[in-house]
Parts: sequence; C-alpha cells; structure tokens
Amino acid sequence: MTKRFLSLLSLSALTLAACEGGGDSGPIKIGYLGPLTGDAAPYGVDTLNGVKLAVDEINAAGGIKGRMIELVAEDSRCTGADAASAAQKLVNVDKVVAIIGGQCSSETLAAAPIVEAAGVVMISPVSSSPDVTNAGDFVFRDYPSDALKTKAMAAFLREEGLTKLAMISENTDFAQAFRASLKKDFGEENIVFDEVVDPGTKDFRTLATRLKDVEFDIFFPNAQTDAVMAAMMQQLREQGLEQQAISHDVADSVTLGELAPEAVEGMYIVNVPTAGEGGDFEAKFNQKFGGAQATIAFAAHAYDAMGLLAKAIETVGANGTAIKDHLYSMTPYAGVVGKFSFDRNGDVVGLSYSLKTFKEGKIEKVKDIAVNSMP
Amino acid sequence: MTQLFVNALIAGSLAALIAGGLSLVYGTLGVFNMALGQMALLGGYATWWLHQELHLPLLISILGGLGFGALLSWFTFEVFVEPFWKRHRFLPLVTTIALSMMLDGIILLLFEERPRSILPGLKKTFDVMGARISLVQITLIVLTFLLLALFAYILHSTPFGRQIRAVVQHPHAAESLGIAAPKLNRIIFILSGSLAACGGIYQGIDQNLSPTLAFGITIKAYAAIIAGGKGHLWGAILCAYLIALLEQLAIGVPWFGGAYISAGYQQTVALAVIIIFLLLKPNGLFGASLRSA
Repeated sequence: MTKRFLSLLSLSALTLAACEGGGDSGPIKIGYLGPLTGDAAPYGVDTLNGVKLAVDEINAAGGIKGRMIELVAEDSRCTGADAASAAQKLVNVDKVVAIIGGQCSSETLAAAPIVEAAGVVMISPVSSSPDVTNAGDFVFRDYPSDALKTKAMAAFLREEGLTKLAMISENTDFAQAFRASLKKDFGEENIVFDEVVDPGTKDFRTLATRLKDVEFDIFFPNAQTDAVMAAMMQQLREQGLEQQAISHDVADSVTLGELAPEAVEGMYIVNVPTAGEGGDFEAKFNQKFGGAQATIAFAAHAYDAMGLLAKAIETVGANGTAIKDHLYSMTPYAGVVGKFSFDRNGDVVGLSYSLKTFKEGKIEKVKDIAVNSMP
Repeated sequence: MTQLFVNALIAGSLAALIAGGLSLVYGTLGVFNMALGQMALLGGYATWWLHQELHLPLLISILGGLGFGALLSWFTFEVFVEPFWKRHRFLPLVTTIALSMMLDGIILLLFEERPRSILPGLKKTFDVMGARISLVQITLIVLTFLLLALFAYILHSTPFGRQIRAVVQHPHAAESLGIAAPKLNRIIFILSGSLAACGGIYQGIDQNLSPTLAFGITIKAYAAIIAGGKGHLWGAILCAYLIALLEQLAIGVPWFGGAYISAGYQQTVALAVIIIFLLLKPNGLFGASLRSA
C-alpha cells in the first residue's frame, strides 16, 4: 500500500516537473489587449470574440502540435496608460508567447515599447493610426494604415468634385492621426472648417451653429466612437445642415444606424471591405456570440490575426524572435479578410478599400476604391 | 447669437437639474456624493430599458426611471451615507467613490458598452427667433424650469420648505426647535437622487447614454455648486446655466481679433473663468457668508 502510494507520489512529482519545464509542453499562452469597457468597448468585444472563436476552433482540432492555447484577456480601455500596464502584466506575469492587440491605436502605441523590449510579437487587428507603422519590429497589424485610407478618401472626394471639407475631430490618437494625414492628402486649402474637441464630448451644438456660416460641400465627423459620432451627426442635422457626410471605419457600425438613422442616411463610409460578412465566418460568429456589436469586419481581422499567429507558432515554435522573423518572410496568409502578408514595417499588404453608405439605417456597399500600396 | 443662448439653455438645463439637488444635499449633510453621475445614468438607463426593451409608453418609462432613481438614492443613503457621515463628513466621499465603481460595473453588465438612446433618430426642429430647437428640447427646458419653480415654491412658501432651509442654515438649532433633521436629510438625499435621474433621462432622450459619461456629470455638478456658494441652491442652479453659457460662448463667438478658441478648450475656458471668479469671491458667486438656501 505504502509502496503504491509512494510510486503514485513520484509519478505525480514527475508530471509536475514535466509541467514546470514550461517552454515545450503545457498550454501556449496568448495575450489579448483591448477596450472591454468604455465608449470603445464594442471594438474590444468584437475583436475578443473573434480571437476566442479562433482559439476554440484550434483547441477543438487538437491545439498547436498537441498544445492547447490559453487566452489571457486584459482590458486596456482605449487608453495608453491602461494598455501599458496591461501589456506589462501580460509580458511579465503571464509570460505570454504573443499578444493580439491593442485595438485603439493609443493602446497599440503604448504597448509597443513594452513588447519590443520583451521580444514578444504583437499583432493588432484594428489599429489604423499611421504611427503604428514605425512602432517597432515586433509590432504587426492585419488592418490597413490610415495613411492609405486618407488617400482613398481624398481620391474619392476629388473624383466627386468636392473641394470644401468641414471636419470636427475628437482629440484621440486615431482621430488626430487621421486628421493630419487627410490634411496632407486632400490639401489643407480644401479644409474649410477644422475643429478639435475633447474625447467623449457630446455637445456639438455651438460648433454646428458656427458651421451654418461656413460654406462647405461635405462634412467629416472624425470621431473615435459611434456614440460621439451619433451626437455630431444628430446635432448637425438638427441645425438644418443638409450637406453630404463622409467618414471612416468608426461609421461602419450597426449601432450608429440605430442611434441616428435619419442623420446618417446617405453618409459615405470609407473602410476596409466588410470582411467576413455573409459568409461561413459570420454564421459561426453569430451562432456563438449572437452578432457583432460594431462590425463583423473587426471580428474577422482579429480571427485572422489569431489564426495567422497559430500557424506561425506551429511552423517555428513558441519563440518571439522566430515568430517575428517568420511573419516578415511568410507567404501570403489566406484568411477571412483576404489574402495578405506584411511589409518590412509590419503593415499589412494585399487588402483593398470599399466605399459604403447608409441606406435606411443599414450599411450597403457602393463600390471598391483602388489604392496604391504604401510608398 | 440666439442660437448660442438656446444651446446654453439645453446644456444648462441638464446641469441645473443635477446641481440643484446636489446643492441641497451638500448644504444639509455637507457630504460629497461621488456616485451622482452613475445615479443619473442609471435613471436614464432604466427609462431606456422600460421604453426600448419593454416597449412601455414614454411617460410611464420616465416615471419608472424616476422611481428607480429614487429607490437607488434611498438605498445609497441608507447603506453608503447614513452609517458614515456623522463620524466624519469625508467618509461618504470614499464610500460613494466605491459605490460609483460598483455602479459602473453594474451599468456595463446590465446595459452593455454600446451607446443607448431613449428616443433614437432625428427630432423635428423649429425656428424660434432665429434659433433651431427641437420639440423635445423645448419640452425638456420648460420642464426643467417648472421643476425648479416647484422647488422654489416648496422651499420658500411651505412649512416643509422652511424646515429644510432651517436645517441647511443650522442643523443643531433646527433640531432643538423640534425639526426632525434626520428624516429631512433622507428626503433631501432621495430628492437629489431623483433630480439626478431626471438629468440622466434628459441626456438619454436628447443625446445618448454611454457608461463613461458618469464622471463628467459629477464633476460639472460640483463645479456649479462650488461656484454658486456652499449650500446655496439658486447659486448652484444659476452657475450650472452660467457654465453652460460660458462653454458655448467660449467657442461660439470670435475672440481677440476674430479668431475662434479651439473647441478642445471649451471646458477648460469655462472652468478657468469659474476659478477666476472664485479667486475674487471665495464664498462663491452668490455665497453670502451667513445666510444660505
């Protein structure tokens, strides 16, 4: 009896020791960074669900070479400060192999130096600030830079013969980078009204009042969240301003159409194609999570980031530098959002843009906009 | 220009509702309720839920939201304020901050992160003396005025109001004259919570509700009551409107040779003006040193 007990004990001790060996067995920890609370939370919820879907599928199929993936999610609230402390925790406490995140560009930019120092690969599914391009060697994104998006927007505006743009921008990394890069691509002389407001502002009445005295062709609500954009559009229309409007990814939100259906009617949206919509991916996603809060495209980019990462780990092992080198040199990955690879800055190559519009509260695609790849 | 004043009235009515109740609480109990913004939001969210999810008529939903706000403030008073405030008047500062965090979590859990609007869609607008305003906004402004007028009547023309003013002026003297100060404290706290809920409902109808709004609401209300003078109800209400007007004027008219102040400084400018006023008049704009309320 005692002998048996002892042998059992030693066996369990052995297993324990094997586990502690870390590195090559046991679960592979992957971190997630994103806004799970606050105005930007719909992006966080959608991308986290996209990652979860990928992880569940990979684990159900036996994991990566038999090792399960363990997801560690941290709420970084769309702010740099929260993202930095969350990244510290993921890297130093949880010792994750790689991170999917951040979602807001401010999160990605703040977490970048931390993952860079630790040699941990970070792939952002939705950060689009041009600043992310040079954020570091270990920082990747499978979402196109706004530097390209503003080019697409400027090209469309010129094509339509619209030369006077009025814009109100929220003071966040994403919106400010977009503003700067649109000014460059569309020409400062073509922007007739350019105001910046505090993040989260919801009273735009006085700015809308001032807009009544400005002659403009098209209005660009450059907000960080759909909650703020809804307030902007609603108050603009309440002042009787009927001009056409155009915006970016943030407008590509079902919630916006529900909050301000009349105000956003006919508004143009320049965004990456609604990847994953109507396909197998959306069906799986809706079945599991009951639909996207912002857009299925965010979930699709996150799903692909996780799928790509799993494939990289399977090929080169759970080593940060090896994964990084693999991502720079890999052949294009066929994901839900399309076939893509990375350029030398870790920016995505191979995805295009589309022009969409609100029609009776629903988002419809108008056409594709061709853009040249990064200079 | 008229439009600027209308804009200020719209924003000011929201702030006045919240600051008015708060000022009474601050005057009688002398405590800070840092969960006020969350209480306002929850009143709005409750109305949203009743109207958009249960599809009850708007009026009933608003009454429901107000009722919920009253219950919540009663609960807050009994659990987070009453047991502490007599030991030290700063204790409720800590307990209500804790409560505000709990309520933040509850809001996220129950109503999710996405913005919610009690009446989504565009409201019909009218031209009134060169200013555009929607029927909903007119209703809200008028209702706020009526509520405040009712408040004034109760406070200045009824025995009950006289008791409240007595407690604000000198709680101990009032109690020695047989006024049930503890009971009044409770009523005033619940009243202030209900007024805050009114503000939340207003916000949810006129714009939209999102979980991060709470702190801003709390801070603006405190700015108004401090600027108005401690416990000075009318000062707080006037200052709420004044801050709103300053915010609109700051960015709505050209200053210094035709240049507009950048909209990013809207709140900074308004609060800076208040600080300058306070430097000149430390008791608040309307703060008489002895008599208040």
